[in-house]
Amino acid sequence: MTITPEQTTPPTDACVASIADVFDPVFSRLEQWADLVERYAARPDSVADRAELDPLVEQLVRREFADSDGCVIGAGFVSAPHFLGWHLAWWLGGQNAASQGLPATGIRHLETVEDPLKESFRDYTALEWWRVPAHTGRRHITGPYVDYLCTDEYTLTLTLPVYRGGTELIGVVGIDLSVDEIERDLVPRLDAGAVAATVINASGRVVVSTDAHLATGALLRLPGLTERLADPTPAFTALGPDGAHSFQWCGRTGLAVVAGPAPS
Amino acid sequence: MPQSIRAGSGTRAAIFAPLDGAGRAELVLQRLTDAIVLGVLHNGERLPSEAELARQLGVATVTAREALEILRRNNLVHTKRGRDGGSFVTFAGGGATDLQDDRLLAWSRVQVRDLGVHYSAIAGLAAELAAERASAADIANLERILDRTDAGTADAARRGQGTFRLEVAALSQSARLVREELRLQAEFGSLLWLSLREPRRRERCRAEQRETVAALVAEDGARARQLTVSQITESIEWLIEAKARLEQKGRSTMTGSTSAPVPTGAPA
Repeated sequence: MTITPEQTTPPTDACVASIADVFDPVFSRLEQWADLVERYAARPDSVADRAELDPLVEQLVRREFADSDGCVIGAGFVSAPHFLGWHLAWWLGGQNAASQGLPATGIRHLETVEDPLKESFRDYTALEWWRVPAHTGRRHITGPYVDYLCTDEYTLTLTLPVYRGGTELIGVVGIDLSVDEIERDLVPRLDAGAVAATVINASGRVVVSTDAHLATGALLRLPGLTERLADPTPAFTALGPDGAHSFQWCGRTGLAVVAGPAPS
Repeated sequence: MPQSIRAGSGTRAAIFAPLDGAGRAELVLQRLTDAIVLGVLHNGERLPSEAELARQLGVATVTAREALEILRRNNLVHTKRGRDGGSFVTFAGGGATDLQDDRLLAWSRVQVRDLGVHYSAIAGLAAELAAERASAADIANLERILDRTDAGTADAARRGQGTFRLEVAALSQSARLVREELRLQAEFGSLLWLSLREPRRRERCRAEQRETVAALVAEDGARARQLTVSQITESIEWLIEAKARLEQKGRSTMTGSTSAPVPTGAPA
Protein backbone atom coordinates (compact mmCIF):
# COMPACT_ATOMS: atom_id res chain seq x y z
CA MET A 1 0.00 0.00 0.00
CA THR A 2 1.52 3.34 -1.02
CA ILE A 3 0.97 6.09 1.45
CA THR A 4 0.84 9.64 0.23
CA PRO A 5 -0.42 12.23 2.68
CA GLU A 6 -2.05 14.28 -0.08
CA GLN A 7 -4.47 11.45 -0.69
CA THR A 8 -5.71 11.45 2.88
CA THR A 9 -9.46 11.07 2.97
CA PRO A 10 -11.87 10.24 5.73
CA PRO A 11 -12.72 6.57 6.04
CA THR A 12 -15.80 5.86 3.99
CA ASP A 13 -19.16 5.51 5.70
CA ALA A 14 -19.17 1.92 4.51
CA CYS A 15 -15.89 1.23 6.30
CA VAL A 16 -17.10 2.78 9.56
CA ALA A 17 -20.43 0.96 9.27
CA SER A 18 -18.71 -2.36 8.67
CA ILE A 19 -16.74 -1.96 11.90
CA ALA A 20 -20.00 -1.41 13.76
CA ASP A 21 -21.35 -4.53 11.97
CA VAL A 22 -18.87 -6.65 13.89
CA PHE A 23 -20.11 -5.49 17.29
CA ASP A 24 -23.77 -4.68 16.72
CA PRO A 25 -24.90 -8.33 16.42
CA VAL A 26 -23.11 -9.10 19.70
CA PHE A 27 -24.94 -6.23 21.38
CA SER A 28 -28.22 -7.41 19.83
CA ARG A 29 -27.75 -10.76 21.54
CA LEU A 30 -26.89 -9.00 24.78
CA GLU A 31 -30.14 -7.05 24.42
CA GLN A 32 -32.03 -10.34 24.14
CA TRP A 33 -30.28 -11.66 27.23
CA ALA A 34 -31.00 -8.47 29.15
CA ASP A 35 -34.62 -8.76 28.11
CA LEU A 36 -34.83 -12.35 29.34
CA VAL A 37 -33.21 -11.55 32.69
CA GLU A 38 -35.49 -8.54 33.03
CA ARG A 39 -38.59 -10.64 32.39
CA TYR A 40 -37.37 -13.22 34.89
CA ALA A 41 -36.84 -10.51 37.51
CA ALA A 42 -40.21 -8.89 36.83
CA ARG A 43 -42.33 -12.00 37.51
CA PRO A 44 -44.93 -10.97 40.07
CA ASP A 45 -44.96 -12.57 43.54
CA SER A 46 -41.70 -14.44 43.20
CA VAL A 47 -38.25 -13.90 44.58
CA ALA A 48 -35.28 -14.01 42.21
CA ASP A 49 -33.16 -17.09 42.85
CA ARG A 50 -29.73 -17.73 41.38
CA ALA A 51 -30.47 -21.47 41.25
CA GLU A 52 -33.23 -20.66 38.76
CA LEU A 53 -31.59 -17.87 36.83
CA ASP A 54 -28.15 -19.46 36.38
CA PRO A 55 -29.37 -22.39 34.24
CA LEU A 56 -31.29 -19.93 32.04
CA VAL A 57 -28.16 -17.84 31.51
CA GLU A 58 -26.04 -20.94 30.95
CA GLN A 59 -28.33 -22.01 28.12
CA LEU A 60 -27.93 -18.67 26.36
CA VAL A 61 -24.20 -18.68 26.89
CA ARG A 62 -23.82 -22.26 25.62
CA ARG A 63 -25.55 -21.33 22.38
CA GLU A 64 -23.34 -18.25 22.05
CA PHE A 65 -20.16 -20.30 22.39
CA ALA A 66 -21.40 -22.83 19.85
CA ASP A 67 -22.11 -20.10 17.25
CA SER A 68 -19.13 -17.83 17.77
CA ASP A 69 -16.18 -19.47 15.92
CA GLY A 70 -13.88 -18.97 18.87
CA CYS A 71 -14.39 -15.22 19.15
CA VAL A 72 -16.27 -15.46 22.44
CA ILE A 73 -14.08 -16.42 25.39
CA GLY A 74 -16.49 -15.68 28.22
CA ALA A 75 -20.09 -14.60 28.72
CA GLY A 76 -22.87 -14.28 31.25
CA PHE A 77 -24.80 -12.14 33.69
CA VAL A 78 -23.36 -10.28 36.66
CA SER A 79 -25.83 -9.44 39.41
CA ALA A 80 -26.21 -6.15 41.24
CA PRO A 81 -25.39 -6.82 44.93
CA HIS A 82 -28.98 -6.13 46.00
CA PHE A 83 -30.51 -8.46 43.38
CA LEU A 84 -28.92 -11.93 43.80
CA GLY A 85 -26.13 -10.83 46.12
CA TRP A 86 -22.57 -10.62 44.81
CA HIS A 87 -22.86 -13.10 42.01
CA LEU A 88 -21.37 -13.81 38.60
CA ALA A 89 -23.31 -16.19 36.37
CA TRP A 90 -20.34 -16.29 34.01
CA TRP A 91 -18.95 -19.05 31.79
CA LEU A 92 -15.63 -19.48 30.02
CA GLY A 93 -15.22 -21.23 26.69
CA GLY A 94 -13.17 -24.32 25.95
CA GLN A 95 -10.89 -22.38 23.61
CA ASN A 96 -9.06 -20.17 26.05
CA ALA A 97 -5.87 -20.75 27.96
CA ALA A 98 -7.58 -20.89 31.34
CA SER A 99 -9.50 -24.01 30.46
CA GLN A 100 -6.95 -26.10 28.60
CA GLY A 101 -7.90 -29.05 30.72
CA LEU A 102 -11.36 -29.10 29.18
CA PRO A 103 -12.51 -30.55 25.88
CA ALA A 104 -12.65 -27.87 23.18
CA THR A 105 -16.44 -27.97 23.23
CA GLY A 106 -16.82 -27.64 26.98
CA ILE A 107 -17.66 -24.52 28.89
CA ARG A 108 -16.69 -23.86 32.46
CA HIS A 109 -18.43 -21.85 35.14
CA LEU A 110 -16.23 -19.04 36.47
CA GLU A 111 -15.67 -19.62 40.17
CA THR A 112 -15.41 -16.39 42.08
CA VAL A 113 -15.26 -15.33 45.69
CA GLU A 114 -18.72 -13.92 46.48
CA ASP A 115 -18.17 -13.25 50.17
CA PRO A 116 -17.22 -9.57 50.59
CA LEU A 117 -15.43 -10.37 53.85
CA LYS A 118 -12.90 -12.62 52.13
CA GLU A 119 -9.57 -11.08 51.21
CA SER A 120 -9.70 -12.11 47.58
CA PHE A 121 -13.24 -10.76 47.08
CA ARG A 122 -13.46 -8.31 44.20
CA ASP A 123 -15.93 -5.45 44.24
CA TYR A 124 -16.79 -5.68 40.57
CA THR A 125 -19.07 -2.64 40.68
CA ALA A 126 -15.89 -0.52 40.67
CA LEU A 127 -14.62 -2.08 37.44
CA GLU A 128 -14.99 -0.39 34.09
CA TRP A 129 -17.24 -3.06 32.49
CA TRP A 130 -19.73 -2.52 35.32
CA ARG A 131 -19.14 1.10 36.26
CA VAL A 132 -19.53 2.70 32.84
CA PRO A 133 -22.75 1.03 31.65
CA ALA A 134 -24.24 1.40 35.14
CA HIS A 135 -23.47 5.12 35.00
CA THR A 136 -24.52 5.85 31.42
CA GLY A 137 -27.33 3.27 31.12
CA ARG A 138 -25.88 2.31 27.75
CA ARG A 139 -23.79 -0.40 26.13
CA HIS A 140 -20.05 -0.22 26.67
CA ILE A 141 -16.88 -1.82 25.31
CA THR A 142 -14.05 -2.24 27.85
CA GLY A 143 -10.54 -2.94 26.64
CA PRO A 144 -8.48 -4.21 24.98
CA TYR A 145 -6.91 -5.38 28.24
CA VAL A 146 -5.08 -8.44 29.54
CA ASP A 147 -7.66 -10.28 31.63
CA TYR A 148 -5.19 -11.89 34.00
CA LEU A 149 -7.75 -12.70 36.68
CA CYS A 150 -9.97 -14.73 34.47
CA THR A 151 -8.47 -16.12 31.27
CA ASP A 152 -5.01 -14.54 30.78
CA GLU A 153 -6.32 -13.52 27.38
CA TYR A 154 -6.17 -10.23 25.58
CA THR A 155 -9.83 -9.26 25.77
CA LEU A 156 -12.59 -6.87 24.78
CA THR A 157 -15.56 -6.95 27.16
CA LEU A 158 -18.95 -5.84 25.84
CA THR A 159 -21.50 -5.09 28.55
CA LEU A 160 -25.08 -3.85 28.73
CA PRO A 161 -26.98 -2.82 31.88
CA VAL A 162 -30.15 -4.71 32.86
CA TYR A 163 -33.04 -2.84 34.50
CA ARG A 164 -36.14 -4.03 36.31
CA GLY A 165 -39.15 -1.83 35.70
CA GLY A 166 -37.02 0.41 33.49
CA THR A 167 -35.14 2.12 36.30
CA GLU A 168 -33.77 -0.34 38.87
CA LEU A 169 -30.33 -1.64 37.87
CA ILE A 170 -30.21 -5.37 38.61
CA GLY A 171 -27.00 -6.28 36.81
CA VAL A 172 -25.12 -6.33 33.52
CA VAL A 173 -24.99 -8.91 30.76
CA GLY A 174 -21.69 -9.25 28.97
CA ILE A 175 -19.56 -11.06 26.44
CA ASP A 176 -15.75 -11.26 26.41
CA LEU A 177 -14.26 -11.32 22.90
CA SER A 178 -10.75 -12.42 22.03
CA VAL A 179 -8.77 -9.51 20.58
CA ASP A 180 -6.82 -11.98 18.40
CA GLU A 181 -10.01 -13.16 16.75
CA ILE A 182 -11.51 -9.68 16.48
CA GLU A 183 -8.38 -8.48 14.68
CA ARG A 184 -8.93 -11.09 11.96
CA ASP A 185 -12.43 -9.76 11.52
CA LEU A 186 -11.61 -6.04 11.62
CA VAL A 187 -8.49 -5.68 9.50
CA PRO A 188 -10.13 -6.52 6.16
CA ARG A 189 -12.81 -3.93 6.90
CA LEU A 190 -10.26 -1.16 7.41
CA ASP A 191 -9.15 -0.87 3.82
CA ALA A 192 -9.67 2.88 3.67
CA GLY A 193 -7.59 3.59 0.57
CA ALA A 194 -4.18 5.21 0.79
CA VAL A 195 -4.47 6.08 4.45
CA ALA A 196 -3.73 4.41 7.75
CA ALA A 197 -6.94 3.52 9.55
CA THR A 198 -7.07 2.85 13.26
CA VAL A 199 -9.93 1.65 15.44
CA ILE A 200 -9.68 3.09 18.97
CA ASN A 201 -11.81 2.72 22.07
CA ALA A 202 -13.35 5.62 23.97
CA SER A 203 -10.09 6.12 25.91
CA GLY A 204 -8.07 6.43 22.69
CA ARG A 205 -6.56 2.96 23.05
CA VAL A 206 -5.80 1.19 19.77
CA VAL A 207 -8.01 -1.85 19.09
CA VAL A 208 -6.51 -2.50 15.68
CA SER A 209 -4.65 -0.43 13.10
CA THR A 210 -3.43 -0.79 9.54
CA ASP A 211 -0.44 1.34 10.58
CA ALA A 212 2.35 -1.07 11.54
CA HIS A 213 3.73 1.56 13.94
CA LEU A 214 0.56 1.52 16.02
CA ALA A 215 0.39 -1.52 18.28
CA THR A 216 -2.90 -2.79 19.61
CA GLY A 217 -3.08 -1.61 23.22
CA ALA A 218 -1.04 1.55 22.61
CA LEU A 219 -2.63 4.93 23.26
CA LEU A 220 -3.15 6.98 20.13
CA ARG A 221 -1.64 10.39 20.85
CA LEU A 222 -2.97 13.06 18.56
CA PRO A 223 -3.59 16.76 19.26
CA GLY A 224 -7.30 17.30 19.89
CA LEU A 225 -8.14 13.62 20.23
CA THR A 226 -8.93 13.71 23.96
CA GLU A 227 -11.39 16.58 23.44
CA ARG A 228 -12.98 14.81 20.48
CA LEU A 229 -13.41 11.59 22.47
CA ALA A 230 -15.34 13.55 25.10
CA ASP A 231 -17.82 14.69 22.47
CA PRO A 232 -20.45 12.20 21.26
CA THR A 233 -21.34 14.15 18.08
CA PRO A 234 -21.35 11.64 15.25
CA ALA A 235 -20.01 13.91 12.46
CA PHE A 236 -16.57 13.65 10.89
CA THR A 237 -13.94 15.83 12.48
CA ALA A 238 -10.52 16.77 11.23
CA LEU A 239 -7.79 16.20 13.80
CA GLY A 240 -4.07 16.46 14.30
CA PRO A 241 -1.45 18.70 12.76
CA ASP A 242 -2.84 20.39 9.61
CA GLY A 243 -6.10 18.53 10.18
CA ALA A 244 -4.61 15.61 8.27
CA HIS A 245 -6.45 13.02 10.36
CA SER A 246 -10.15 12.35 10.41
CA PHE A 247 -12.20 11.04 13.29
CA GLN A 248 -15.55 9.31 13.29
CA TRP A 249 -17.52 7.32 15.85
CA CYS A 250 -18.50 3.77 14.76
CA GLY A 251 -22.25 3.98 15.27
CA ARG A 252 -23.18 3.32 18.89
CA THR A 253 -20.32 0.96 19.67
CA GLY A 254 -18.25 3.50 21.59
CA LEU A 255 -15.38 2.77 19.21
CA ALA A 256 -14.07 5.28 16.71
CA VAL A 257 -12.07 5.18 13.49
CA VAL A 258 -9.19 7.59 13.01
CA ALA A 259 -7.72 7.78 9.52
CA GLY A 260 -4.69 9.68 8.44
CA PRO A 261 -1.30 9.57 6.81
CA ALA A 262 0.85 6.83 8.23
CA PRO A 263 4.06 8.14 9.81
CA SER A 264 7.04 7.31 7.62
CA MET B 1 -13.21 -9.39 33.93
CA PRO B 2 -10.55 -6.77 34.41
CA GLN B 3 -8.16 -5.62 37.06
CA SER B 4 -7.99 -6.56 40.66
CA ILE B 5 -9.02 -3.87 43.05
CA ARG B 6 -7.88 -5.67 46.16
CA ALA B 7 -4.26 -6.29 46.92
CA GLY B 8 -3.42 -9.93 46.56
CA SER B 9 -6.33 -11.11 44.49
CA GLY B 10 -4.24 -11.19 41.32
CA THR B 11 -1.52 -13.38 42.71
CA ARG B 12 -4.22 -15.50 44.29
CA ALA B 13 -5.89 -16.09 40.97
CA ALA B 14 -2.49 -17.00 39.55
CA ILE B 15 -2.13 -19.85 42.01
CA PHE B 16 -5.05 -21.66 40.49
CA ALA B 17 -4.29 -20.76 36.89
CA PRO B 18 -3.48 -23.79 34.76
CA LEU B 19 0.04 -25.15 34.64
CA ASP B 20 1.60 -26.52 31.52
CA GLY B 21 4.87 -28.14 30.53
CA ALA B 22 6.94 -30.77 32.25
CA GLY B 23 7.39 -31.42 35.95
CA ARG B 24 3.82 -30.60 36.78
CA ALA B 25 3.68 -32.30 40.17
CA GLU B 26 6.74 -30.33 41.22
CA LEU B 27 5.22 -27.10 39.93
CA VAL B 28 1.92 -27.76 41.70
CA LEU B 29 3.85 -28.43 44.89
CA GLN B 30 6.05 -25.35 44.52
CA ARG B 31 3.15 -23.09 43.69
CA LEU B 32 1.02 -24.23 46.62
CA THR B 33 4.00 -24.15 49.00
CA ASP B 34 4.80 -20.61 47.94
CA ALA B 35 1.18 -19.57 48.30
CA ILE B 36 1.00 -21.00 51.80
CA VAL B 37 4.36 -19.64 52.91
CA LEU B 38 3.60 -16.29 51.36
CA GLY B 39 0.27 -16.19 53.15
CA VAL B 40 -1.83 -15.92 49.99
CA LEU B 41 -3.56 -19.04 51.27
CA HIS B 42 -4.28 -18.58 54.94
CA ASN B 43 -3.86 -20.76 57.96
CA GLY B 44 -7.01 -22.86 58.39
CA GLU B 45 -8.21 -22.19 54.84
CA ARG B 46 -9.67 -25.17 53.05
CA LEU B 47 -8.01 -26.10 49.76
CA PRO B 48 -10.08 -27.26 46.80
CA SER B 49 -10.60 -31.03 46.64
CA GLU B 50 -8.09 -33.20 44.72
CA ALA B 51 -10.41 -33.40 41.77
CA GLU B 52 -11.22 -29.68 41.83
CA LEU B 53 -7.56 -28.73 42.23
CA ALA B 54 -6.65 -31.00 39.31
CA ARG B 55 -9.37 -29.44 37.18
CA GLN B 56 -8.40 -25.86 38.01
CA LEU B 57 -4.70 -26.40 37.46
CA GLY B 58 -5.28 -28.54 34.38
CA VAL B 59 -3.30 -31.52 35.72
CA ALA B 60 -4.21 -35.17 36.34
CA THR B 61 -5.95 -35.96 39.63
CA VAL B 62 -3.05 -38.20 40.57
CA THR B 63 -0.66 -35.24 40.14
CA ALA B 64 -2.77 -33.08 42.45
CA ARG B 65 -2.98 -35.94 44.96
CA GLU B 66 0.79 -36.37 44.89
CA ALA B 67 1.35 -32.67 45.55
CA LEU B 68 -1.17 -32.65 48.43
CA GLU B 69 0.53 -35.73 49.90
CA ILE B 70 3.90 -33.96 49.97
CA LEU B 71 2.31 -30.81 51.44
CA ARG B 72 0.91 -33.04 54.20
CA ARG B 73 4.31 -34.59 54.80
CA ASN B 74 5.81 -31.08 55.02
CA ASN B 75 3.14 -30.18 57.60
CA LEU B 76 1.75 -27.41 55.42
CA VAL B 77 -1.73 -28.95 55.19
CA HIS B 78 -3.65 -31.52 57.17
CA THR B 79 -6.54 -33.61 55.95
CA LYS B 80 -9.78 -34.14 57.83
CA ARG B 81 -12.13 -36.96 56.89
CA GLY B 82 -15.89 -36.85 56.93
CA ARG B 83 -18.60 -34.46 55.90
CA ASP B 84 -16.71 -31.29 56.82
CA GLY B 85 -13.46 -32.87 55.69
CA GLY B 86 -10.87 -31.71 53.18
CA SER B 87 -7.34 -30.39 53.13
CA PHE B 88 -6.68 -27.40 55.35
CA VAL B 89 -3.70 -25.08 55.45
CA THR B 90 -1.82 -25.54 58.72
CA PHE B 91 0.81 -22.92 58.59
CA ALA B 92 0.92 -20.05 61.04
CA GLY B 93 4.10 -18.51 59.71
CA GLY B 94 6.68 -19.62 62.24
CA GLY B 95 8.46 -21.91 59.83
CA ALA B 96 8.45 -19.54 56.85
CA THR B 97 11.97 -18.40 57.54
CA ASP B 98 13.36 -21.94 57.64
CA LEU B 99 11.58 -22.96 54.50
CA GLN B 100 12.82 -20.00 52.48
CA ASP B 101 16.28 -20.33 53.95
CA ASP B 102 16.44 -23.96 52.81
CA ARG B 103 15.53 -22.84 49.37
CA LEU B 104 18.08 -20.05 49.34
CA LEU B 105 20.79 -22.46 50.50
CA ALA B 106 19.86 -24.93 47.79
CA TRP B 107 20.22 -22.35 45.01
CA SER B 108 23.64 -21.40 43.70
CA ARG B 109 24.63 -17.74 43.43
CA VAL B 110 24.57 -18.11 39.67
CA GLN B 111 20.97 -19.36 39.81
CA VAL B 112 19.88 -16.52 42.09
CA ARG B 113 21.48 -13.93 39.84
CA ASP B 114 20.04 -15.52 36.74
CA LEU B 115 16.56 -15.38 38.25
CA GLY B 116 17.18 -11.67 38.73
CA VAL B 117 18.22 -11.26 35.10
CA HIS B 118 15.17 -13.16 33.84
CA TYR B 119 12.79 -11.24 36.05
CA SER B 120 14.43 -7.90 35.15
CA ALA B 121 13.94 -8.65 31.46
CA ILE B 122 10.24 -9.27 32.00
CA ALA B 123 9.38 -6.65 34.62
CA GLY B 124 11.71 -4.01 33.16
CA LEU B 125 10.19 -4.03 29.70
CA ALA B 126 6.70 -4.28 31.19
CA ALA B 127 7.36 -1.07 33.13
CA GLU B 128 8.78 0.65 30.07
CA LEU B 129 5.74 -0.25 27.96
CA ALA B 130 3.38 0.69 30.79
CA ALA B 131 4.77 4.25 30.71
CA GLU B 132 3.75 4.49 27.07
CA ARG B 133 0.39 2.79 27.39
CA ALA B 134 -1.11 3.66 30.76
CA SER B 135 -4.12 5.97 30.61
CA ALA B 136 -5.01 8.43 33.36
CA ALA B 137 -7.61 5.95 34.66
CA ASP B 138 -4.97 3.19 34.79
CA ILE B 139 -2.68 5.44 36.84
CA ALA B 140 -5.53 6.32 39.21
CA ASN B 141 -6.19 2.60 39.71
CA LEU B 142 -2.50 1.95 40.42
CA GLU B 143 -2.42 4.77 42.97
CA ARG B 144 -5.52 3.37 44.64
CA ILE B 145 -3.79 0.02 44.97
CA LEU B 146 -0.69 1.64 46.47
CA ASP B 147 -2.81 3.59 48.94
CA ARG B 148 -4.45 0.37 50.08
CA THR B 149 -1.24 -1.61 50.32
CA ASP B 150 -0.09 -2.21 53.84
CA ALA B 151 3.68 -2.49 54.24
CA GLY B 152 3.59 -3.18 57.96
CA THR B 153 4.73 -6.79 57.76
CA ALA B 154 7.04 -8.69 55.43
CA ASP B 155 4.10 -10.73 54.13
CA ALA B 156 1.88 -7.75 53.45
CA ALA B 157 4.74 -5.92 51.75
CA ARG B 158 5.50 -8.96 49.54
CA ARG B 159 1.87 -9.33 48.59
CA GLY B 160 1.70 -5.61 47.91
CA GLN B 161 4.80 -5.73 45.73
CA GLY B 162 3.41 -8.76 43.87
CA THR B 163 0.14 -6.97 43.18
CA PHE B 164 1.92 -3.78 42.14
CA ARG B 165 4.23 -5.57 39.70
CA LEU B 166 1.31 -7.51 38.27
CA GLU B 167 -0.74 -4.36 37.72
CA VAL B 168 2.21 -2.66 36.03
CA ALA B 169 2.68 -5.73 33.82
CA ALA B 170 -1.01 -5.57 32.87
CA LEU B 171 -0.52 -1.95 31.78
CA SER B 172 2.03 -3.15 29.22
CA GLN B 173 -0.98 -4.62 27.36
CA SER B 174 1.11 -7.70 26.60
CA ALA B 175 -0.55 -11.02 27.45
CA ARG B 176 2.79 -12.80 27.25
CA LEU B 177 4.50 -10.44 29.69
CA VAL B 178 1.59 -10.76 32.09
CA ARG B 179 1.67 -14.56 31.94
CA GLU B 180 5.43 -14.59 32.49
CA GLU B 181 5.10 -12.14 35.39
CA LEU B 182 2.45 -14.39 36.96
CA ARG B 183 4.56 -17.51 36.44
CA LEU B 184 7.67 -15.93 37.94
CA GLN B 185 5.68 -14.59 40.89
CA ALA B 186 3.98 -17.90 41.56
CA GLU B 187 7.22 -19.82 41.43
CA PHE B 188 9.75 -17.39 42.89
CA GLY B 189 7.80 -14.48 44.35
CA SER B 190 8.32 -15.44 47.97
CA LEU B 191 12.06 -15.89 47.45
CA LEU B 192 12.57 -12.87 45.24
CA TRP B 193 11.24 -10.35 47.75
CA LEU B 194 12.70 -11.97 50.85
CA SER B 195 14.52 -8.69 51.46
CA LEU B 196 11.18 -7.19 52.54
CA ARG B 197 11.77 -8.90 55.87
CA GLU B 198 13.64 -5.74 56.78
CA PRO B 199 11.49 -2.70 57.66
CA ARG B 200 14.04 -0.40 56.03
CA ARG B 201 13.71 -2.33 52.77
CA ARG B 202 9.94 -2.17 52.98
CA GLU B 203 10.04 1.61 53.24
CA ARG B 204 12.43 1.78 50.32
CA CYS B 205 10.23 -0.54 48.26
CA ARG B 206 7.25 1.69 48.90
CA ALA B 207 9.18 4.79 47.88
CA GLU B 208 10.30 3.03 44.70
CA GLN B 209 6.73 2.05 43.89
CA ARG B 210 5.71 5.71 44.19
CA GLU B 211 8.64 6.76 42.01
CA THR B 212 7.67 4.18 39.41
CA VAL B 213 4.14 5.57 39.29
CA ALA B 214 5.61 9.07 38.89
CA ALA B 215 7.68 7.79 35.95
CA LEU B 216 4.53 6.30 34.38
CA VAL B 217 2.72 9.61 34.82
CA ALA B 218 5.66 11.39 33.17
CA GLU B 219 5.52 8.81 30.33
CA ASP B 220 9.20 8.22 31.07
CA GLY B 221 9.63 4.58 30.06
CA ALA B 222 13.40 4.54 30.49
CA ARG B 223 13.07 5.76 34.07
CA ALA B 224 10.31 3.24 34.87
CA ARG B 225 12.47 0.43 33.51
CA GLN B 226 15.56 1.64 35.34
CA LEU B 227 13.71 1.85 38.67
CA THR B 228 12.33 -1.64 38.21
CA VAL B 229 15.64 -3.22 37.25
CA SER B 230 17.59 -1.54 40.05
CA GLN B 231 14.97 -2.64 42.57
CA ILE B 232 15.26 -6.24 41.42
CA THR B 233 19.07 -6.06 41.41
CA GLU B 234 19.11 -4.75 44.98
CA SER B 235 16.81 -7.54 46.08
CA ILE B 236 18.99 -10.17 44.40
CA GLU B 237 22.12 -8.74 46.03
CA TRP B 238 20.38 -8.87 49.39
CA LEU B 239 19.59 -12.54 48.73
CA ILE B 240 23.20 -13.32 47.90
CA GLU B 241 24.41 -11.60 51.08
CA ALA B 242 21.76 -13.46 53.07
CA LYS B 243 22.88 -16.71 51.47
CA ALA B 244 26.50 -16.00 52.45
CA ARG B 245 25.43 -15.34 56.05
CA LEU B 246 23.41 -18.54 56.10
CA GLU B 247 26.32 -20.53 54.79
CA GLN B 248 28.60 -19.04 57.44
CA LYS B 249 26.25 -19.81 60.27
CA GLY B 250 25.45 -23.27 59.01
CA ARG B 251 21.81 -24.00 59.71
CA SER B 252 21.40 -21.41 62.45
CA THR B 253 18.64 -18.85 62.14
CA MET B 254 18.72 -15.89 59.83
CA THR B 255 16.53 -13.27 61.38
CA GLY B 256 18.19 -10.07 60.24
CA SER B 257 16.74 -7.02 61.91
CA THR B 258 13.23 -8.47 62.19
CA SER B 259 13.23 -11.26 64.71
CA ALA B 260 9.48 -11.68 65.07
CA PRO B 261 7.98 -14.60 63.17
CA VAL B 262 6.20 -13.46 60.06
CA PRO B 263 2.43 -13.75 60.40
CA THR B 264 0.69 -15.29 57.43
CA GLY B 265 -2.72 -13.82 58.10
CA ALA B 266 -3.74 -10.85 56.03
CA PRO B 267 -3.76 -7.63 57.98
CA ALA B 268 -7.17 -6.02 58.00
